[in-house]
Amino acid sequence: MKRKILVIDDDTNVVDYLVTLFQDHGYEAVSASNAQDGLSVAQKEKPDLITLDLEMPGDWGPRFYRKLSQDPVLKNIPVVVISGLSGIEHAIQKAAASINKPFDKEDVLKVVNDILA
Amino acid sequence: MFNNIMFATSATETCDHAARVAFEIASQYKAKLTLFHVLGVPSRGYSQMVRDVKTGEDITLDGEYEAWVVEEIKTHYSRQLKGYENVEIKLAVGHPHREILRTARKQNPDLIIMGGTDAGSDLSTYKRTMAGTTLQRVAKAAKCPVLVVARPAASFWGGISSIVFGTDFSKASNAAFDFAKKLAVDLKGELHIFHAVDISQLHAGKPIDQDEIEIQLRDARNRIRGRYVKQLEGIPIYSVDVWEGVPYVEIVKYAREKQADLIVMAHHAREMDPESARLGSNMEQVIVRANCPVVSVNRQAKD
Repeated sequence: MKRKILVIDDDTNVVDYLVTLFQDHGYEAVSASNAQDGLSVAQKEKPDLITLDLEMPGDWGPRFYRKLSQDPVLKNIPVVVISGLSGIEHAIQKAAASINKPFDKEDVLKVVNDILA
Repeated sequence: MFNNIMFATSATETCDHAARVAFEIASQYKAKLTLFHVLGVPSRGYSQMVRDVKTGEDITLDGEYEAWVVEEIKTHYSRQLKGYENVEIKLAVGHPHREILRTARKQNPDLIIMGGTDAGSDLSTYKRTMAGTTLQRVAKAAKCPVLVVARPAASFWGGISSIVFGTDFSKASNAAFDFAKKLAVDLKGELHIFHAVDISQLHAGKPIDQDEIEIQLRDARNRIRGRYVKQLEGIPIYSVDVWEGVPYVEIVKYAREKQADLIVMAHHAREMDPESARLGSNMEQVIVRANCPVVSVNRQAKD
């Protein structure tokens, strides 16, 4: 059974790129363009991993993460922060990893593969 | 809640994370934001000289230099200034804490925001675990709450929605609670009320009686319920917790657990001479260690 990744980012180019990247490498991928939709998709799809942008319209990534971690079913899903902001390693302390934009696809895949191995 | 915010800045990297918070709060509240910078202490010689913050060189203080500093500040914050324009840049000459307090008395801000200590190349544990003297003196004597962003990790990401209020049940804690509650209502955020039973003293020389600790924990929970919980109308999500340990460690841990965007605490020694005053050790250690901004409240906020 394919592992499922949820991509949350308000930049459609990033979403399309990551979804295609993950699908091309054997994962199932779903997406959301904001935190609110991201939570709904997470509740419906129960992904194995979430990639999360920080700066988005409405709730930012950290607020999404707080809501995620308050949900007993979703709270243990590993989250990988992918953002162009500086100091992103501090933004969500319990994130599984953080990757700066612009990113290298090999780096993203390595992080995701290692977490889902 | 905030109409007039004063951001005391060195306009260096040390204050960049505080700047992020200052601009974000100002734009959220559409408040006037004053970027306040102290040029330094002038010499008493024939020509006034100040030490440039960035270069460390002694510079003759004149209108040309002041205009240059203003331009430097505009350049340093150019990205933020593009997004928010209700900003005034003010300069002063003198001891930073005195000038910040003097200007605050004149401008009457409802919040002062400050960055951490600029330890320069001094990376000693002492420097990294002590709040700077300017911060200490301003936080002690300011007539409004002082928000401190001491670490890069402490700059919040996307606004305030989870507030931890740490209480020691002092009179000043009531003012801090009012501030935290008002903010939580205003922002429709969560409010987490926390007290740490200090058992660090009990370690010294005698084993700790667990029954005694548990009595203190229960008493503290009851005090929180009696004093604060009945006032929490309008706050949909709140919690009450009492832990035992070293207070500042427990507060930092608790804020991490709650993924707090802000810690609000009181200090209660404003009757002391601000020139010699230090923050309480717990407040100071929370400021330098917390992963979110810390607000120090020392008196009842103005309406």
